[in-house]
Amino acid sequence: MLLTPEVLTISILNLLFFIFASIAFYFSVKIVLKYDNNATTTMQYNLEKQSYLVATIIKFIFYFKVLLFVFFIFTLDDISNILPGAMCGAGVVNATQYGTYLLILKIINLYIFAYWLVLNNEDMKSEEQPYLKFKFKVYIFAFFLLLLEIGLESAMFFSIDTKNVVDCCGSIFSTTDGTYMAYLLNIDPSILLSSFYAIFLLIIFSYIIKNKYLFSLLNLLFVVVALVSLIAFFGTYIYELPTHHCPFCLLQKDYNYIGYFLYIFLFIGTFYGIVIGVINFTKEEENIKYKISLFFTTLYVILVSYYPLAYYMKNGVWL
Amino acid sequence: MIRLEHISKIYDNDIVALDDINLIFAEGELVILKGVSGSGKSTILSLIAGLLKPTKGDVLVDKKHISKLPDHFCSQYRRDNIGFIFQKYNLIPTLSVVDNILLPLIPLNLDEKELHVKLESVMKMFSIVHKKDIIVKNLSGGEQQRTAIARANVNNPKIILADEPTANLDEKLSLEFIKILKELKSLNKTIIIATHDPLFFDLDFVDRIVEIHNGKLVCS
Repeated sequence: MLLTPEVLTISILNLLFFIFASIAFYFSVKIVLKYDNNATTTMQYNLEKQSYLVATIIKFIFYFKVLLFVFFIFTLDDISNILPGAMCGAGVVNATQYGTYLLILKIINLYIFAYWLVLNNEDMKSEEQPYLKFKFKVYIFAFFLLLLEIGLESAMFFSIDTKNVVDCCGSIFSTTDGTYMAYLLNIDPSILLSSFYAIFLLIIFSYIIKNKYLFSLLNLLFVVVALVSLIAFFGTYIYELPTHHCPFCLLQKDYNYIGYFLYIFLFIGTFYGIVIGVINFTKEEENIKYKISLFFTTLYVILVSYYPLAYYMKNGVWL
Repeated sequence: MIRLEHISKIYDNDIVALDDINLIFAEGELVILKGVSGSGKSTILSLIAGLLKPTKGDVLVDKKHISKLPDHFCSQYRRDNIGFIFQKYNLIPTLSVVDNILLPLIPLNLDEKELHVKLESVMKMFSIVHKKDIIVKNLSGGEQQRTAIARANVNNPKIILADEPTANLDEKLSLEFIKILKELKSLNKTIIIATHDPLFFDLDFVDRIVEIHNGKLVCS
């Protein structure tokens, strides 16, 4: 069991999240089953009051969870200093059987929790609260994902053994060991880059023709392609090393913490892009979200493109 | 039009304030809610103002379900539709008359000129313009009352609710208030007054007197 101050903080917060999320879950089920907007009964008025309170509890849990994602990444990186063999967060993720699943689940949850926050915000803007029942249904689903995340996170921190030597990112993200990761890393860069820039241009095109569903779908696709191309191609230019494919090292001071900027830009850009297609905003709000999405996605594209171009201009060759 | 449909209100300490009340107030009507202390008059005003939610039943103002409004929309509804005159005026004693009247206009972000026009007109209407820079705690009861009425009307609300408005006034000042009331009535505002002051019961411009006893309507 690993008990660094960061792990302790996460564990205590998880306990609090579990308690409050369970209370919210109980009331959410009640609201989903019994809420009737047309009723003027005592129970309905009680449910209306409870829905406001419960939505506030969930809102705070999810705000914290979204912000804590960055802290989790920081914690992984920090723990790598005390795990023999680990050079960065990748070694910590790979140290137990739970790490990879936890990381994937955390990324999915990040989008779902943020989606709930936007949904709740939209619901609160209208007197009729059009998404009230729906947001609690989404929460019931998200609650199980939250439980799974807390479970996996606790399992991971509990099963890390600081005496065991773990793999470093060089071997985890190796191109030669026949794993899925090796398969991804061996994708022809021209195919990867064509897909990356083509999707980005299609996103701009879908904005011009104002097709929100296409825009949303392309953003979803862009998350995957952007992450794969970052690991397989752009990352090597950030490290200036053709064999280094780690998505965690770029979070470190040696690389000016550029990873935090990249991931935050990518998350904000794609999140607002995806959410346009799944929530009915007013035209004005939709336009704002289009712009936020495009702004951050473009920042991401400029930032990752800068590294290979700068390398080429400096050295006259590609890696 | 204001409709109260099968309204019951039971407070947390199990006190039944209203028991299955049905009431309609037409636009421009002046209604007196009569009853002893604790009969439920103030609760009716609070329900119409969206300050309280009923335990059961529905409050509709111009077909809008006020009792179903989420809390953060209730303030907006009050700002746009309701002028509330309280028994103890509820003024901020350390602010001047003009600053007190200005308070409901702050969230509207009006420009200086528009603010000035609204303030001047309402202060003139309720004869308080000569005291505009005086700190409220230094005013007499009648002047404080007029300031409170000016504040309640500065947004030009279509509904005026008054809770025991003459309880702290002597007879002369109460008659002065009644004069103001007549003026408000002529502006076609819906006015509902909760009171047990007999001065109100024989006024010729009062449309209706509703008596409430132990949370139930006695006559309407």
